[in-house]
Amino acid sequence: MARNKYDIDEDLSQEFDAKSVRRMLGYLAPHRRRVAVAVLLMIVASLVSLLGPYLFKVAIDDCIPRKDVRLLAVLAAVLVAAQAVNALCLKIRIKVMNDIGQGVVYEIRTDIFERLQKLPFSYFDSRPHGKILIRVVNYVNSLSDLLSNGIINLVTDLFSLVFTIAFMLVIDVRLTLICMAGLPVLAAAVLSLKKRQRLAWQDMSRKQSNLNAYLHEALSGAKITQSFARADENQRIFSRLGGMWRDSWLKAVANLFLIWPVIEIISVLGVCLVYVSGIVWLKGITVGILVAFIGYVWRFWTPIQTIGNFYSSLVQAAAYLERIFETIDEPAGIEDAPGALALPAAEGRVEFRDVSFSYEPGRPILRDLSFVAEPGSSTAIVGPTGAGKTTIVNLLSRFYTPDSGSILVDGRDIQGVTIESLRRQTGVMLQDSFLFAGTIMDNIRYGRLDAGDDEVIRASKAVRAHEFIESLSAGYDTAVNERGIRLSMGQRQLISFARALLADPSILILDEATSSVDTETERAIQKGLGELLKGRTSFVIAHRLSTIRNADRILFVDRGRIVEAGTHEELTAKRGAYYGLYASMRSFD
Amino acid sequence: MRPWLRAHLKRYRLPYLTGIALTFVVSGLNLVSPLISGTIVDRVIVGGEKGLLWGLLGLMIGAIVAKSLIRYGYQMLFEHVSQDTIRACREELFAKLQRMDFGYYDRTKTGDLMAHMTGDIDAIRHFIAWVVYQCLENGVVFLAAVAALFFVNWKLTLVMLAVTPFIARSTIGLSKEVKPTFSAIREQFSRLNSVVQENIAGNRVVRALAREDYEIGKFQAENEAFRQRNVESAAVWAKYIPPIEFFSGLLPVMLILAGGVMIIRGELTIGQLVTFNGLVWAINQPLRMAGWLVNDIQRYGAASDRLDRLYRLESVLDERPGAVSPAAVKGRVEFRHVSFSYGDERVLEDLSFVAESGQTIGILGPTGSGKSSIGRLLCRFYDRTSGEILLDGVDVRDYDLDCLRAQVGVTMQDVFLFSDTIEGNMAFGRPEASLEEVLRASELANAHEFAKELPEGYDTIIGERGVGLSGGQRQRVALARLLLKAPPVMILDDTTSAVDIETEERIQESIKALRGRHTMFIIAHRLSSIMHADQILVIKGGRIVERGTHEELRRLGGYYEDVFRHQTGAGALAPSEPARAEGAARG
Repeated sequence: MARNKYDIDEDLSQEFDAKSVRRMLGYLAPHRRRVAVAVLLMIVASLVSLLGPYLFKVAIDDCIPRKDVRLLAVLAAVLVAAQAVNALCLKIRIKVMNDIGQGVVYEIRTDIFERLQKLPFSYFDSRPHGKILIRVVNYVNSLSDLLSNGIINLVTDLFSLVFTIAFMLVIDVRLTLICMAGLPVLAAAVLSLKKRQRLAWQDMSRKQSNLNAYLHEALSGAKITQSFARADENQRIFSRLGGMWRDSWLKAVANLFLIWPVIEIISVLGVCLVYVSGIVWLKGITVGILVAFIGYVWRFWTPIQTIGNFYSSLVQAAAYLERIFETIDEPAGIEDAPGALALPAAEGRVEFRDVSFSYEPGRPILRDLSFVAEPGSSTAIVGPTGAGKTTIVNLLSRFYTPDSGSILVDGRDIQGVTIESLRRQTGVMLQDSFLFAGTIMDNIRYGRLDAGDDEVIRASKAVRAHEFIESLSAGYDTAVNERGIRLSMGQRQLISFARALLADPSILILDEATSSVDTETERAIQKGLGELLKGRTSFVIAHRLSTIRNADRILFVDRGRIVEAGTHEELTAKRGAYYGLYASMRSFD
Repeated sequence: MRPWLRAHLKRYRLPYLTGIALTFVVSGLNLVSPLISGTIVDRVIVGGEKGLLWGLLGLMIGAIVAKSLIRYGYQMLFEHVSQDTIRACREELFAKLQRMDFGYYDRTKTGDLMAHMTGDIDAIRHFIAWVVYQCLENGVVFLAAVAALFFVNWKLTLVMLAVTPFIARSTIGLSKEVKPTFSAIREQFSRLNSVVQENIAGNRVVRALAREDYEIGKFQAENEAFRQRNVESAAVWAKYIPPIEFFSGLLPVMLILAGGVMIIRGELTIGQLVTFNGLVWAINQPLRMAGWLVNDIQRYGAASDRLDRLYRLESVLDERPGAVSPAAVKGRVEFRHVSFSYGDERVLEDLSFVAESGQTIGILGPTGSGKSSIGRLLCRFYDRTSGEILLDGVDVRDYDLDCLRAQVGVTMQDVFLFSDTIEGNMAFGRPEASLEEVLRASELANAHEFAKELPEGYDTIIGERGVGLSGGQRQRVALARLLLKAPPVMILDDTTSAVDIETEERIQESIKALRGRHTMFIIAHRLSSIMHADQILVIKGGRIVERGTHEELRRLGGYYEDVFRHQTGAGALAPSEPARAEGAARG
């Protein structure tokens, strides 16, 4: 698996192309009507603004020579009314465009977040979290303007371009064609710039992502940095990444801003061409035609400049959109099979049949593993670190899919049931005791959202967490967060233990559930555990003998295979691998 | 403008002012092509002076080429200045955040800080790169046009300026009302950031408990609120911007009405009216822009208020003047009547002990008894509430912080690894270490065996927080990281809890070999980790309840003996088996 870190540029698996543009427009489709309203309002407003010069002409030509103050007042009144209409249009437009822009951003962000919820562990394990975060939050934000103002301006400008060309055609076809001669030149220039601009913006977004990834890690790991007094080194790295972003940004805008001189220079050449051909080359162009035509020539180029504006924001947005779409299209890896059924309330019989698995091809973690756990039984999985113990339980929850073989719960292949129903019945207490920002009560209730306070308290009593929680000043309402020190590691483990228990799963997996808990508490939990495990099939991964010894069955795993299986007594009598482990414990004294 | 921003911007005064000057040149050049265009119509087309055509066209092309190039130049100048300025701000804030005390990090969400360092800083960039010069440019154009018109006809100018109070009123209203909405957007942006950040960081828990739908719901609420805040902000513009647009649109009306009347009364010529009409955009445009600029200024204001909060942060651990920074300490540690409260919770109470240089101190006690706090206070991640903590007889608060932490190293329970290579992680504390040194530390920590088996060996990149590794492997990488740095005082906090027993034994051998040369604190639940210590402290409820060597504590028959009996199998769980036959499992 190609892993990424903060100073490695990400590859791009998906290029921005016409399909992406269509896809982006697809987000506007539900807002079709409002887009139409906004465009209409803009057209009305621009028509109204055309009224001003005309009325001014009337005033100078008619009213003033005739000293007609009344007509003057009428003209003024018409203008006031026109301005009022204009202001009203603007008011509605601000609201409509904002609704659209924010709506689209909302939907894209929802899509990307929902996709994240389906992605496997490996997605999160193989890249810095800051790089994922920036896609959901920052990249999406930078799209809102393009998708509201940008597109609506584009439509309006296209309209006004078409109108202008129509007027010009009515006046004189030849001059119009000459005027439009600049367009292919412009198109060629834009195309030749395009590649450089695209590459420069892509590079900028990568450098931005790198900086953010580093920032995110440096902030999450600030405590480690301080304990190793490494702030200066980090500052150097941060500064280097910041410098790279700055350089790539400047390079990107240097390329992007080129579009303006190009348009302006081509447009002035085009206009000159019209003057020259109208005045010198072409025959039969009257003064009136020429003057009228020249009035439109500049108008012809104004919308093209704003279209250029749209183009440059599109170039910027493309660099973000391709990342966003890439994430939305990321294969989930593990998904419900077609026609998957919900797993009915499980009795809890678990069977592994010749299961093999590797995280990376050629490096098998599990090899042809087979075993059965009867409903209600407890199975301890022991073995050296890295033997594949955690992998076994990860496969049972379908966090990964076996390369070959099958895993059955109550005789059903877990590939054929919905992931959600499976995971609801297989409660895992992970090594990683992550807590969310919120109260302790909230964190335990995360296991079962509809649990009442009394149920939460019962679960915490069962894992011996109740006592210390009560001793905190705010009790269950004490606010905790991701990695704050308000709680010790052992206390965090107890809370996540209570959380797993509250979910009331029929299969309970305890992966090093209490490694940081003191002996006394652990002993108390052990006493209560029998009660907790009643009626549940349980799998326990532990290094503590007391936990292991009480299991109905012990599997000794080494290098991806079950080397020995049996009860504590059977295995010690056998004097094999388990006994070796056991003997090493004896050397303690 | 904020002092911190001004300080940075000052360094770029010359390019910035040059850029602003160039914008005026461009505004001037903007007038050239309409003028030439008019001349061509009047003199060449209508007047028939065809000889002038080539010269005029050349002038027009020259003006536009010059204008577009100068504009390109000043745009790049502004980009340079703004990039350099925000880079300086970002680095300054980063340096500050890196030195904040642990208490700050306990209270602060990473997602919040990310929002500050990305979104808020970007608002500053926009302000420098765009808003400032727009304000100046519009301001100058407006004043120049008003001055010119005053010169032509002061009465009409005054009449036209009659609309400005209305525009000013709306602008002020907008300014006042829009700022809170921007602050609300920024705050909501932070919350959104935090929800997503937490979801990503906690993705394993979410999957394990099949809470995806709940997470989506939680996210949707913040996402929706973010949309709402934006829509609310837009509602404020929708309230004030149209009136501004309306009143500035009245300028031509005033011109026609008042100008017309004045001409009829003979107070104004038609030529003057045309001049006014030609300049009306120069008054109109800045007034219309005023609303949007105020909007952007307030957006900047909201972001810089938030950044102000970061700038004002003060680490509670600020060093005393005259802090000492010895090259190396001997490693004698003394706690004298130390108490520590975290918030309103008492964590340690009146703790006193001495660790002589080179001694090993074992620390045992129930979950949450305050064991880890001893190390945290010694490293000064937090400051004790009362009492004294001495390193080589000097109060730890009198040490230079970096120096203190170079002398006292700790492995934390909650292992944090960076998404870097295994080697990079191990060399975190000593980036200049050679590969041989890294390998030696790795062997000492018993990490070599698995590290060399990884797909790319020591060059394998591990995920953030080391998620690709098992708990035991993570702990060993963290241990290697500390052993490579090998400071005189080392605190091993629950370093081997997730490691299997055989490996743990080998690690113990490595650690034993360090005795005498390093003062070591070993915090553990497994007695095998601490039983050989020179002194063992049993901490319960923040106090030392037992202290002594293994034998002394066993004879005491208290907590230690109880744990010992349980761990060696003589506890309640296995009464059937004789104690001697039992190995020392860990609890």
